[in-house]
Amino acid sequence: MKKKVSEKTVKTIYAIVSISCFFLAWSFVTNFTPARLTTPGPLQVLKLLVTSITTPIGKYTLYGHLYFSLRRVIIAYSVASISGIVVGIAMGTSRYAEAIIKPIFEMLRPIPPIAWIPLIILWFGVGELPKYAIIFIGAFTNVTLNAYTGAQRVDQTLVGCAKMLGTDKKGIFFRVILPSCMPQIFAGMQVALSTAWMAVLASEMVGAREGCGWIILRGSDTTNIPLVLVGMVVIGIVGLFLATVMRVIERKVCAWNIIEV
Amino acid sequence: MTELQKKRQKETRKFAAISVCSLAIFFLSWYIATGVLHLVPDYALPSPVQVLRAFIAKLTKRAPDGATLFQHIMASLKVALSGYFLGAVVGIPLGICMAWFRRVDLFVTPLFDMIRPVPTIAWIPLMILWFGIGLGAKAAIIFVSAFVPCVINSYAGIKQTKPVHLWVSQTFGATRRKMLFSVAIPTAMPLIFTGLRISLGTAWMTLCAAEMLAANKGLGYMIQMNRAIGRADMIIVGMLTIGAIGALFTVGLDKLEQAMVKGGRRK
Repeated sequence: MKKKVSEKTVKTIYAIVSISCFFLAWSFVTNFTPARLTTPGPLQVLKLLVTSITTPIGKYTLYGHLYFSLRRVIIAYSVASISGIVVGIAMGTSRYAEAIIKPIFEMLRPIPPIAWIPLIILWFGVGELPKYAIIFIGAFTNVTLNAYTGAQRVDQTLVGCAKMLGTDKKGIFFRVILPSCMPQIFAGMQVALSTAWMAVLASEMVGAREGCGWIILRGSDTTNIPLVLVGMVVIGIVGLFLATVMRVIERKVCAWNIIEV
Repeated sequence: MTELQKKRQKETRKFAAISVCSLAIFFLSWYIATGVLHLVPDYALPSPVQVLRAFIAKLTKRAPDGATLFQHIMASLKVALSGYFLGAVVGIPLGICMAWFRRVDLFVTPLFDMIRPVPTIAWIPLMILWFGIGLGAKAAIIFVSAFVPCVINSYAGIKQTKPVHLWVSQTFGATRRKMLFSVAIPTAMPLIFTGLRISLGTAWMTLCAAEMLAANKGLGYMIQMNRAIGRADMIIVGMLTIGAIGALFTVGLDKLEQAMVKGGRRK
């Protein structure tokens, strides 16, 4: 019975085949065509990846750079998420807050976080603070926007019901409004996390002496292309890891919403 | 009814007034802090008047970074749009094929999932190595940044086609090709447009990054150069231009979507 081969096995087989095709093509191109002059093969990259776990790149080993990048992301991202949720929900629930904040927010929102880099470097120099500020801007707009639409879309029937059943204002806020915009907020936080991860790279590429973005820049400055690729691989893995962590948290916090979909 | 309408109109007017006041207070406090009290030095945050003056000067003068504002805008637009169209033209059909043909899905999705988590910015040094620092490298970087959201969204759009609709068309004798073009793609249209909008945003942002790292013209280059010589007023002019063009793009795509997407998902 051919049908017995499960969907999962087929998928895995195809995945293995396609990824090995990719690596074969990569090593073929880098061994037998003119591209080998510029681009390192997969084995070279792997070798460097393994050695850089123990041998330092610049001042720190790979772990050290990861620690710096992740610390920046986590600190700035947490601050941005909390303040974004507060501002967004305030805008979504109170018309006064909306009227006051929205025009300024809408004016600044279309400016990408990367475009803030020069100004922020002028303001804060090249320490840790400018990196936090850039990541903050990247994450804050996404979270605020989503919390705002989430709070706007709260089903007014539910609010009315809660009122009729005698819930006080605090109860309505914490037990009706906040839970019902949770899925939206999480969607925003998910996007914000990937923006934050990108923003930290950008800020490290423009002015830093450590971190994952710096690894790439260092590689390209010293024409050490394997190092660039090592940086890209590490950045990709960490980005995937961060996204997965967020998804797991979302599944825990918004379990009711996931089942419904 | 009219009473209620009148009341509502009054409310709207009141909140509009609050919005105007809020903006006015924002600019006024900026002006007072910088232009009157000089709380921060000019090289860090110039007053709004200075920014406006810089903007007007930049319209005609090449100083201090070698091109007028218009030339920078055109340089940026050329790069951004060429990379973006390439990304959309390759990405959308690929996403549709991935969702429609099972073998393509099984084969390409793992590769795509492997490349996707790498932020576009991380591609910049590699692209510069491969394509030099001309139009090619920047267009390639923007291609990557536009390509990924286009693929993801058209894939998701096709996948969300209701099987019932496909069955109906099958019952009425539609070929598989007809099913794709008359049922699945129209269903996916709103999401494809979401992808186009997201990728335009990322493309525009990536462009700034690419120009800040390697360019001799363009808005990203302009703000980076002005940081080096400490002209904050020019930086702010550049930032606001980038923001304004980004906002214009969004509005333009919204209009295009309204014209092209029948029905709608809008709540």
